[in-house]
Amino acid sequence: MSFVEISNVVKTYHQVRVLDRVSLSIEKGEFITLLGPSGCGKSTLLRAIAGLNPIDEGRIMVGGRDITHLPPKKRDVGMVFQSYALFPNMTVFENIAFGLKMEKLDKKEIRRAVSEMISLIELEGKENHYPHELSGGQQQRVALARSLVKEPTVLLLDEPLSALDAQIRRTLRNEIRTIQKRLNMTTIFVTHDQEEALAVSDRIYVMNHGTIEQHGTPQEIYISPRSEFVANFIGNYNVWSREQLLHKPIRGIPDRGELFAVRPEAIHISTEPDRTGAQQGIVAEGFISMATVLGNIMRYEIDVQGLQVTVDTLHRPSVEGLTPGAPVYLFVPESEWKCIERSI
Amino acid sequence: MLLVLVPFVFWLIAFLALPFAGMLISSFQHADGQGFTFAQYVKALTHPLYTQSLLNSVWLSFVSSLVGLVIAVFASYSFTRFSAKTRDVLLNISNIFNNFSGVPLAFAFMIILGTNGMFTLLFDKLGMGFLNFDLRSLKGLIVVYTYFQIPLAILLVYPSLYAIREEWKESAALLGASTWQFWRYIGVPVLLPSLVGTFSVLFANAMGALATAYALTVRNVNLLTIQINSLVTGDVFPRQELGSALAVVLFVILLIALFINEKMLQLVRKGS
Amino acid sequence: MSNPARTARSKGRWWHIGVTSVVLAVLIIPLLATFLFSISTVWQNTILPDGLTLEWYGRLFSDERFLYAIGRSFLVSAVTVVISLAIMVPAIFVVVLYFPGLEKMLQSVVLLPFALPGVVTAVGLIKIYSSGPIAISGTIWILIGAYFIVIMPYVYQSTRNSLRSIHAAQLMEAAEVLGAGKVKAFVFVILPNIMPGMMVASLLSFSILFSEFVLANMLVGGSYEVVQVYLHRMLATDGHMSSAIVFTFFVIISLLFALVLRIGRGKSRKMNATSATPADNEGGVTA
Repeated sequence: MSFVEISNVVKTYHQVRVLDRVSLSIEKGEFITLLGPSGCGKSTLLRAIAGLNPIDEGRIMVGGRDITHLPPKKRDVGMVFQSYALFPNMTVFENIAFGLKMEKLDKKEIRRAVSEMISLIELEGKENHYPHELSGGQQQRVALARSLVKEPTVLLLDEPLSALDAQIRRTLRNEIRTIQKRLNMTTIFVTHDQEEALAVSDRIYVMNHGTIEQHGTPQEIYISPRSEFVANFIGNYNVWSREQLLHKPIRGIPDRGELFAVRPEAIHISTEPDRTGAQQGIVAEGFISMATVLGNIMRYEIDVQGLQVTVDTLHRPSVEGLTPGAPVYLFVPESEWKCIERSI
Repeated sequence: MLLVLVPFVFWLIAFLALPFAGMLISSFQHADGQGFTFAQYVKALTHPLYTQSLLNSVWLSFVSSLVGLVIAVFASYSFTRFSAKTRDVLLNISNIFNNFSGVPLAFAFMIILGTNGMFTLLFDKLGMGFLNFDLRSLKGLIVVYTYFQIPLAILLVYPSLYAIREEWKESAALLGASTWQFWRYIGVPVLLPSLVGTFSVLFANAMGALATAYALTVRNVNLLTIQINSLVTGDVFPRQELGSALAVVLFVILLIALFINEKMLQLVRKGS
Repeated sequence: MSNPARTARSKGRWWHIGVTSVVLAVLIIPLLATFLFSISTVWQNTILPDGLTLEWYGRLFSDERFLYAIGRSFLVSAVTVVISLAIMVPAIFVVVLYFPGLEKMLQSVVLLPFALPGVVTAVGLIKIYSSGPIAISGTIWILIGAYFIVIMPYVYQSTRNSLRSIHAAQLMEAAEVLGAGKVKAFVFVILPNIMPGMMVASLLSFSILFSEFVLANMLVGGSYEVVQVYLHRMLATDGHMSSAIVFTFFVIISLLFALVLRIGRGKSRKMNATSATPADNEGGVTA
């Protein structure tokens, strides 16, 4: 059995199933992300693991212990909230020390552990500051330290970076990952930001309407989405039904499947048709309706007789002829033409 | 955890529910404290002494609230035109005066407008004797009541006036509206719910007031609260049952006033 | 080069200054007159007093009856406030956090005192407590009992707002996950943070009770003479002493008010950004 085993958890709220027979398996030291849009149940699941929300059915096992019916303080989990929930009346030191104080450790022990933690999060010199005197990023690190200092079995992070600037977010998520690896801390991370999830996770669970749509490594999820929902959520996928492709200048569409997904960056675009026919795949003809500069990506919207196709290429300076109105030829390798399931 | 609520609930029963029930029951009893009758209410609402007291109280409350509100609106609006620091000071001063009511206020007014009052004598000397009036009359009370309504009115009305944005006035001016037109078509309608609500609160405040009138006039002016007081503390004969009926009548009037205020607050919340 | 907008604005400015001055003057004059009277030697039929003196204050503060009255006012107000906080704050906390369904009802009950002026509650209280098994009429206890109800709305409002602004639910959750039981969490994490709000409510309530006359007069009157009742009795007999009492009373209230302002200012500084706010620029992870 895995280190963290969540089995068939059900939670109903106002006659809606917010968690519908959700199951997860997590190995020790793994960094797992629960990814999904608002309302998909990811925070609810996290809070259920922490013991803050009771569940109607199912079982939660952590480190071999059945914690399903235990109150939060007996579960030995750590949690970082979206709003940090730092205690305004306590200094950085006192905030971090709080959990240890509740464990009734002696003063010397507490001092040692807290100081170590403060070095780890690189906030030396700020021990006696109050939360309101710190920046958002600093507060977040204190919140993290406060949980980590107790060496919990599992660390839970509820959208901890949502309230921060994009720049800080990126720096901080890497820091969290570094610390997590160093401590080999089993971690469950919740976010709605797919870039974030892809960047830091060992594995991702994509959630929608209280169920897990797909789980796997970032690579697996991104390259091979299994459903329409995941394809739409995880990237900028082109999603078409077979009907939409009828009567268009497209050749080579495989026989199986009703719904298809293709990554914009997997489509080859050229002003010349590929006459070699060397690769197996799908070809199409159209013209460029819009070309947008997205920094390091060049995004083309191609009109294939009414059908919209999005193609992304790395923004290289020397691309001739790819201007709005230009006729172009598209090629998708067969391996990149994914069949997906329809989502309700 | 519900146990935490026990002392609170106990106190509510002992000092709110029970007395209220007692008063209610009493109001339906005969003068000897027995039985069930509407006689007390009949007397309360038909006997000329008590109907007069009700009318006087309503009139007093109405006038003092209206005048107080108007003054407060002008004052609050002017306050909003000053810098943040000055505004703060002005509001704080106004707030302190909220506590200046009742017996101390009655006395202060006696000094300035009583028979030998500072201003009474001054007006006489300056030949403006016609301005003087008997402080211990309904007229006098109107003046004093208006005084203590002003700070409360400012407190309640200021936030809404503060919300009248400068941009609205500027847009209106650009569209050709005069100051008067702005207020008539935009300013006042926007303020109306909170003005009505404030008026209700002021009205309730004045209707329930006793201390000031008691200290100034005791038996000279016939007010509802004064009647209730004499009936219940019975200087001559304590007539609790009648007093209870009158008290219930007052309570109902106040409930209506507060209910109106609640409705107005909802309107304001919806609008913003 | 005249600027019509500018002259309009400065004309407006004079209007506002005028209105404000008049209103302030109207508010202050009665107080000033009282102060003047309290330091005057004789002031009978003249517009201004004959002479000035501090003897009235001297007499006042050496008058035992006055000092006892002030003492009783302080005592009954302070005791009521303390009991009220001890009973209401945990109750409000429990309802707001754990029984939100009850909140509507709590709100209605707590706002009832606004429809129950002193004279009305006195009616019921006298009826029930003047005789019978619990004859507390005339003692400090009935006054405390009634005063608790009087300040109920203010204590409720203040506590509930404090709990909201500190996001009490989140703090409790954080504390519980860190190993604290509900009681410990309340004591270590909630109470210290609502303290400023409670202080403000206490001072506000204290002022209100200190200025209260109707209930004090009707329920206990002379058997437990508080300063307002004492003043009322002095009104007819000694004008100078009365004015000294009034002015002293006003000074006390103003001091309490200044304290409230002090605390309010300190509170807003601390409550600033204890939870996440966007657009926080940290300027580098390490120094």
